[in-house]
Amino acid sequence: MLKIDDLHVAVSGAEILKGLTLEVPAGEVHAIMGPNGSGKSTLSYAVTGRENYEATSGGLTLDGEDILGLDPDQRAAKGLFLSFQHPMEIPGVATMNFIRTSLNAQRKARGEGEISAADFLKLIRAKAKIVGLTDEKLKRPFNVGFSGGEKKRMEMLQMAIFEPRFAIMDETDSGLDIDALRMVGDVVNSLRGSRRGFLIITHYQRLLDYIKPDRVHVLAGGRIVKSGGPELAKALEESGYEQFIEAA
Amino acid sequence: MTANADKLTPLEDALAACANALAPHREAAFASYRRQGFPHRRVEGWRWSDFKAALRNAPGASAPIHEAAPPLAGDLAGLKPIEIRIVNGRIDFKAEPLPDGVRYGIVDAVGTIAELETNAIASLNVAMSKKAFGVEIGEGVNFTRPILIRHINSGAGFSFAQCMLRVKRNAQATIVETFEGEGAAFNSSLFHVDLKEGGALSRAILHETGAEAVIHSILAVKIEAHARFNQVALSTGSRLARHETHALVLGDGASAEISSAALLSGERHSDFTSEVKFRGAACQTRQSHKGVAAEKGRNVFQGKFKVERSAQKTDARMNADALLLSDTAEANHKPELEIYADDVQCAHGSTSGALDERALFYMRQRGLSYNAARAMLIEAFVGATFDEVAHPGIEQAFRHRVAKWLEGA
Repeated sequence: MLKIDDLHVAVSGAEILKGLTLEVPAGEVHAIMGPNGSGKSTLSYAVTGRENYEATSGGLTLDGEDILGLDPDQRAAKGLFLSFQHPMEIPGVATMNFIRTSLNAQRKARGEGEISAADFLKLIRAKAKIVGLTDEKLKRPFNVGFSGGEKKRMEMLQMAIFEPRFAIMDETDSGLDIDALRMVGDVVNSLRGSRRGFLIITHYQRLLDYIKPDRVHVLAGGRIVKSGGPELAKALEESGYEQFIEAA
Repeated sequence: MTANADKLTPLEDALAACANALAPHREAAFASYRRQGFPHRRVEGWRWSDFKAALRNAPGASAPIHEAAPPLAGDLAGLKPIEIRIVNGRIDFKAEPLPDGVRYGIVDAVGTIAELETNAIASLNVAMSKKAFGVEIGEGVNFTRPILIRHINSGAGFSFAQCMLRVKRNAQATIVETFEGEGAAFNSSLFHVDLKEGGALSRAILHETGAEAVIHSILAVKIEAHARFNQVALSTGSRLARHETHALVLGDGASAEISSAALLSGERHSDFTSEVKFRGAACQTRQSHKGVAAEKGRNVFQGKFKVERSAQKTDARMNADALLLSDTAEANHKPELEIYADDVQCAHGSTSGALDERALFYMRQRGLSYNAARAMLIEAFVGATFDEVAHPGIEQAFRHRVAKWLEGA
């Protein structure tokens, strides 16, 4: 599904990813853990096509298709979704209009029909209930005045609505209480399936109590330095990252 | 060097010839214009809107008279307004049955305008305008039907127009003014408003001329006690387009809300200049300006609050924000406070910046194209300007024009 091959990414002239190789097959959930500054967010931006996070060498494919040359919206239409570590507040942009326009833009790019206003309203209300956002929050400008936790719920709401083929979740668990963590787990687990993949970036084991990963990778110094099963996350919680920082 | 020492341009020559036929009471106004000449970039308050330069090659002839006006835009027709057409200064309207207390027609233009005598173009307008379109809303009449004044620019040359409105005690009126037409003429308009005690006036300005028009408009409004003045404007600019608002807040407890937005592409220019003078006590003003400039667009905002000693408890805030979409676009803001009363709350703020790249990426990651995300962010930036427009049809007219501009931008 998502295949990253010897990827090098430089930001403002400094190389952050230094030959990262990773493959997440369809149907699997992989977790990436690693110390601060190891390149986790850079990886999420490089995969989703953020400007100034361009690959200097290496490969990136989704279902065998090279996506490195695609714009962020083209990658989104292919089914790539990023749950942002720090979701934006966008004053003046009506939440429901934004999500519906985005969904329809994706559908149009895939040659699917647009969702009607009435069907969308039903959909967003149902999903908002699951992620714990009230109607009042949906009527506000996008994320304006939201707490950190509410912004993460808004990310999960969009993920539930877009039903992406591949989702990268960049520290979605940071700033969340236990109930919200469980909600995130519920959303991911409800979407899990043989045709989807997830890459969960996290510092802590606790989210992985709700979302059992198939593989866990340690990212340090811009490359994957260790991979293992779910037990690796537990071991990291005890031993920390020091050994990897030194190794990197 | 004074303006008079320069060689006269064809336009100045033609104006001087017109002056020979002026009524005596207009001679002082003409002399005031002659002393000053057309304002240029070295004159305080005109630095970014150089009329002298813009009119240097203007023809020395009055703009052509046309009987026919372009058809009224569908959404404005939907307002079922009383329609007044001013094509290059020539006033035309149909008489219609009106409710008691409301009357309009052609009246004598004002012959002096003391508070604007340092404004050369206002002086020139006073000198050159003989007749004006006048409206009166009688005491206590809530006249909800919009009065639409269309200033239509056609061909080349110069023209002057005046309008007058008196909103009597506890009366209410809605004015929509459009500046339209594909001409390259120099149109000057002057609008006198008396807003009596407890009265309310909503004024909407839609500037959507072609790129070549040179437009100068002035509204001078006197606001009496507990009266409410609300003005919302949208300009897509032109070669030179300046809309001035001069409000004298005379009475206690009056309010003035003044909002403007400019959407500028190509080499279009828009200038919103205003002065609010507070004389009455406990008056409130909110003023905001949002300017978006792409390519070589030039967005000018000059706002001044002058709080006189008698205007205690004034509560006045002004904000001007600019969004620059290219390296060659310009924003020139000059917010000013001049305060002589000691118990007031006055503030002003000014910002300028580019589109937020992080927001753009966020929206594109959700599937929006660059252009769609950009349009949504621009619409969000200017959109709040129209939130307080009370008349839903007029609010829609504003938003519709923003959407239309975004389609072409």
